[in-house]
Amino acid sequence: MFNTKVELKGYQRPNGLWGFRNHVLILPLHSALSASARNIADATVTKDSYGAVGISHDWSGESDSDYARIFKTISGFAANPNIYATVFLTINTPVEIDLIEAAVNFGANKIEVINLAALGSMEKLFEVAVDAANRLLVEAANEHRHLAPWSAIRLGLECGGSDALSGITANPALGVASDHLVALGAYSVLGETTEILGAEHLLAARATDPEVGKQIVETVARYERSINYEGIDMRGAQPSRGNIEGGLTTLEEKSLGAAKKAGNAPFTGVLDFADRADKPGLYFMDTPGHDIEQLTGFAASGINIVVFTSGRGTPTGSATVPTIKVSTNTQMFDSIPDLIDLNAGSIADGTESLEEVGARIFNEIVEVANGRLTRAETGRHHEFSLSRMYGTVIS
Amino acid sequence: MKLDITNLNGFDHQNRGVGIRNLQLILPSVVCSTHISRRIANEVGAVTFAHQHGCAIIGDDVAGIGDYFESLAAHPNIGSVLIVGLGCETIQGNELAEKLVAKNSSTNYLIIQESGGVDGTYKNGVKAAEDLQGKYPPKPAKLTSLHIGIDLSSPNLLAAEVVTSLQSQNVKVTVSSSHKNSGLNFSELMESGVHLILSFPDANQPTSGFPFIPVINIASDSALHTAIATDFDLPNKSSVDQVIEKIQEVIDGAGTKVEKVGAGEIITPRVVRSV
Repeated sequence: MFNTKVELKGYQRPNGLWGFRNHVLILPLHSALSASARNIADATVTKDSYGAVGISHDWSGESDSDYARIFKTISGFAANPNIYATVFLTINTPVEIDLIEAAVNFGANKIEVINLAALGSMEKLFEVAVDAANRLLVEAANEHRHLAPWSAIRLGLECGGSDALSGITANPALGVASDHLVALGAYSVLGETTEILGAEHLLAARATDPEVGKQIVETVARYERSINYEGIDMRGAQPSRGNIEGGLTTLEEKSLGAAKKAGNAPFTGVLDFADRADKPGLYFMDTPGHDIEQLTGFAASGINIVVFTSGRGTPTGSATVPTIKVSTNTQMFDSIPDLIDLNAGSIADGTESLEEVGARIFNEIVEVANGRLTRAETGRHHEFSLSRMYGTVIS
Repeated sequence: MKLDITNLNGFDHQNRGVGIRNLQLILPSVVCSTHISRRIANEVGAVTFAHQHGCAIIGDDVAGIGDYFESLAAHPNIGSVLIVGLGCETIQGNELAEKLVAKNSSTNYLIIQESGGVDGTYKNGVKAAEDLQGKYPPKPAKLTSLHIGIDLSSPNLLAAEVVTSLQSQNVKVTVSSSHKNSGLNFSELMESGVHLILSFPDANQPTSGFPFIPVINIASDSALHTAIATDFDLPNKSSVDQVIEKIQEVIDGAGTKVEKVGAGEIITPRVVRSV
């Protein structure tokens, strides 16, 4: 059952947050440096070393309506506690200088700035960055883990590609694990505003404070208004085609199932996208349902481990945050085994109880926190997406 | 200087037209398949790109991004296309593939959720891509109509002179100057089917490229461009003749500076937020 006797071990950062990985992240601050970032990270991989992790994105510092949101996402991402050092690739614009400073203020453990303008060419940037990453990887490997309290865990709750079993197997089992962690003093964060539409009143009723309940309802209402503003009725556009093929019938059915990831614990607070929680408990964060935008927002908020339930299956993960995949049905688990970590379909098969699968998820969270790699990590799935409130062609 | 306009060598790419490169595109129809697409492309020598789209999109973006992907696959520089989808996304890889196969038989697709997972998709993908390359080998052809795109992120006198010269030589020219950001201009130019792009990046922007369209970057006299002068294909104060000569070289197969580094993400035009 719940293996609460195991020692949790991590890396404590100067700002007090704990990390469960000691990554070297190659972070381009301009879209034109994205290819270099990935090539630099790839060049550090050896048969003995996981190497650095790199991401790519399509932002170039535009001062449009999404500027503040993207600035917060990238600077927060750079300061995730699972990162030993962030190597920024820049062309040294004022925006980039501000963003690096913001990452330091967020508590980035260690930074290195590689400036294309000073080095003179992409070729030189590549050489210098690979050398820096290799040096930082050696330093990172010499760091030791220390005994961590349960409050070191900042768990993100995510689902993607839901099916008719999501709300019966994997999501409530994850809820059992989340409740257990919250009771031990950890942080747990439910996201995906899209996917609690129609279930918000039930979550609000679990708020520790009526003000928090109001915020949950208002977050969903605000979201729905922003979609209606585009002339689109979300209540007609969800569930998605993939969900319907998976057997879901209505948005409410999907939402009721999605909300089960958060178990039955009381809600301590509501977080804006990419905001960091300041005391342990269960939170709701206003994020899109887009799997990778949500995962990126979680990472930017300091979340250091994620459990991702799926009825259809997906290979995706984060460059910095280990992401444990849980399948809702055994058929999917058997058909695409190399991208799922745990199967919760056993609950529907009648071979395991909800509590038993919840305990397995809990134990896996602890093992992965202590260093076991997830499927997404061994496959080097380092997807990254920026959440925008507006289009890329509108400023 | 004149281009050897009646004797330009290219590759016949079915209904895509005659291109100046013979490239295979591994097209991820959703963010979730970008990583596997990159592994496949690296293995078989194809091009691909990272993006964050294809799912959780609504409104005009569903049709808009679908059309954009269709334009990518229909580009004359592309010899064959392998679409890699996940299976449950908004833009369904198989439906996109059906539309594309109807236009060009040198198209195939794979779905991760139906291919046994990551390794299955990788192995099947490598095989499918190699099969396409075998079945559709390079087919040399004369380029009867050359189409050049100009990314004019900021006004430039040389660009105007180059346009005049190219037009006088019966080269079709499309100028995109809607955005300060070269990436968005590149997307517009790609959709109009240009064979290659002359980019005059904004003074504060570095060089950039596009996965399957050679981009010739031309420097301004800005501090940044002076600092990274060697990243540019042509220096500030180049002459029209130098530009024409470079165009001829690139059409003849010389790699541009960015082609050697590899292009990063493409910037897909979006009009609505994600959900």
